Amino acid sequence: MNNTQNVALIARLFSLADDEFLLGHRDSEWTGHAPLLEEDIAFSNIAQDEMGHALMWYTILHERFDQPAPDRLAFWRAADQFHNATLVELPRGDWAFTIVRQFLFDAYEQARNDWLRRCGYAPIEDAARKLAREEIYHLMHSQGWVLRLGDATEESHRRMQAALDLAWPHALGLFEPPAGDEAFGAKLPEIQAAWRAAVEPRLVQATLTIPGAATAIGGGRLGAHTPHLAELLTDLQKVARLEAPEAVW
Amino acid sequence: MSMMSVLSSVEPQLDWAEPQTGPEFEARLAAFEARIQRGEKIEPNDWMPLEYRKQLIRMISQHAHSEIVGCLPEGGWIPHAPTFRRKLALTAKVQDEAGHGQLLYRAAETLGVSREQMIDDLLAGRAKYSNIFNYPAVTWADVGMIGWLVDAAAIVNQLMLAEGSYGPYARAMKRICYEESFHLKQGHHFIVTMAGGTPQQRAMVQAALNRWWWPTLMMFGPSDRDSVHLEKMMRWKIKTRTNDELRYDFVAQYAPQILRLGLTIPDPELRYDEAARRWRFGEPDWEEFRRVISGHGPLNAERLAVRRAAHEEGRWVREALAAKSNRVQ
Amino acid sequence: MDTQLRTFEVFHQSKRGEPHVHVGAVHAPDAELALMLARDQFARRLDCTSLWVVPSDQITATTPAQAEAWFEPATDKSYREAAGFPMRDIIKKAENWSK
Repeated sequence: MNNTQNVALIARLFSLADDEFLLGHRDSEWTGHAPLLEEDIAFSNIAQDEMGHALMWYTILHERFDQPAPDRLAFWRAADQFHNATLVELPRGDWAFTIVRQFLFDAYEQARNDWLRRCGYAPIEDAARKLAREEIYHLMHSQGWVLRLGDATEESHRRMQAALDLAWPHALGLFEPPAGDEAFGAKLPEIQAAWRAAVEPRLVQATLTIPGAATAIGGGRLGAHTPHLAELLTDLQKVARLEAPEAVW
Repeated sequence: MSMMSVLSSVEPQLDWAEPQTGPEFEARLAAFEARIQRGEKIEPNDWMPLEYRKQLIRMISQHAHSEIVGCLPEGGWIPHAPTFRRKLALTAKVQDEAGHGQLLYRAAETLGVSREQMIDDLLAGRAKYSNIFNYPAVTWADVGMIGWLVDAAAIVNQLMLAEGSYGPYARAMKRICYEESFHLKQGHHFIVTMAGGTPQQRAMVQAALNRWWWPTLMMFGPSDRDSVHLEKMMRWKIKTRTNDELRYDFVAQYAPQILRLGLTIPDPELRYDEAARRWRFGEPDWEEFRRVISGHGPLNAERLAVRRAAHEEGRWVREALAAKSNRVQ
Repeated sequence: MDTQLRTFEVFHQSKRGEPHVHVGAVHAPDAELALMLARDQFARRLDCTSLWVVPSDQITATTPAQAEAWFEPATDKSYREAAGFPMRDIIKKAENWSK
């Protein structure tokens, strides 16, 4: 593998890892606050799964690409070193926003994983295959909620529509290519088409309207983030940074 | 009256006005107590004296509320956990606490009270829950101390409750005890790791111990001599050991482990009496206990405010789910 | 006071070949969500190969008042059991018949 491909792979792995990590972090903020006790338990599983997936991607970066250890990557980078799409750094909002975000992301993962399983790089193919089963469940769960809330009451419809209006442009940013992605050959336009084909019918079924002339809010893949990320990282890293990076917690 | 019953009846064959005196009552009571003495379980829909039912509703619902409120001190630290391992373990632990609350509310429901009512009582400040969660988790080390000591105390109590006479509660307790063993291990690992770390980490642990030792001892409830209901609770196997016995067991098991780490327990009277082969320790501040349990602890108001906010925030969701499922029916 | 929805009883099969065992109940608006919520509450640690949920009001059950009449036999029913047919003495007799 040549250096350009190497750099592209690293960028891609960071985007995968950072997406999952920050989404898992946002999801975990609901623990103890969910609208139904049983959902507190269920959604916490999803948060743990996402963080577990992130750990898997960071481990590949560490073991095969000479990057620092996962804890170091998670707790010691600054906002402009993160390659997540801005969608996942946004605050958790109300349950409608969390569910819409989760749904759009879960569908993205499914479309993206379909491609990653055949991407030609064995460790990524293996990881994508392993993740697939949890992601099937996640999508079933978030989709189920979208369909239950989209048209239930006037208030639920209003909140779900507001959530979609906010999330959609950021969701389009999921398909922004990480640096050097041409060398990786990711079929991002195809993945995006598959994603739209999956989410649009469900959103329509939920009586929601996709924002028409929405432009993608990008920059995340290249380290340009909303102020929310710096705030998130301050919280995330505050205990770790009490001591040197070598400290054991 | 129907020959058969449907499982979901939140109000089973329940007569809240059934007389609790007289020869018929005494006969039933004798049979009920004999059953308990034989070691048999009481199941939902069995005849039981009203006082047994009320004591259990009170105890089980308080236990459920404690788990739910208990999510807050540790849950608030999930966003700040300093490593993947700690973050995942803490998320899983708080998830378990919500899960325990779920199991316990269900056990209480079998006695004729609805989850709606119990939650309403908690949020309106009418219900009690374990005092310990009215204390703040001030630093990251507090999270470990809660995970270790508070969960250790809970296990000492819960192992006892798992032998209780009421079937659904005993079953829930067995399941909960199994999960608590993971919490204890996680907490112990957490504290021992920090105690072996930098001077600041060790100091953080000692400060946390200073804050949590006495509240943990108070988790076992008032001293036996001040315990109302104790004799009946023991006869009906709602409790099978006394508060002081459990408190002693906790100190005997955990004081040595804490002292071995070179930490100082904030009780000048704590020592092992070689002659009597027993641990001696000081008396908790029962004034503080009374103050905190009656709603005037450091965080009582805040804890309930957070729960109320979460509940209000989720109201539209529950209403949406109910509306939709009614239409589909 | 708002709703905590309906309840569904949960049955859990820990591995193939084992029966489904009642493990508790979940509050949910419908069976499909109940199944997902049951999975996260009752199968996140324990091995599980199958899960059932049933609306609580669909389970018909005996009452304690019925227990004696339904489950405690009045007369000897040992003819249903292997132990109701002791063999030792009659085998001895038959085997020693010609002696």
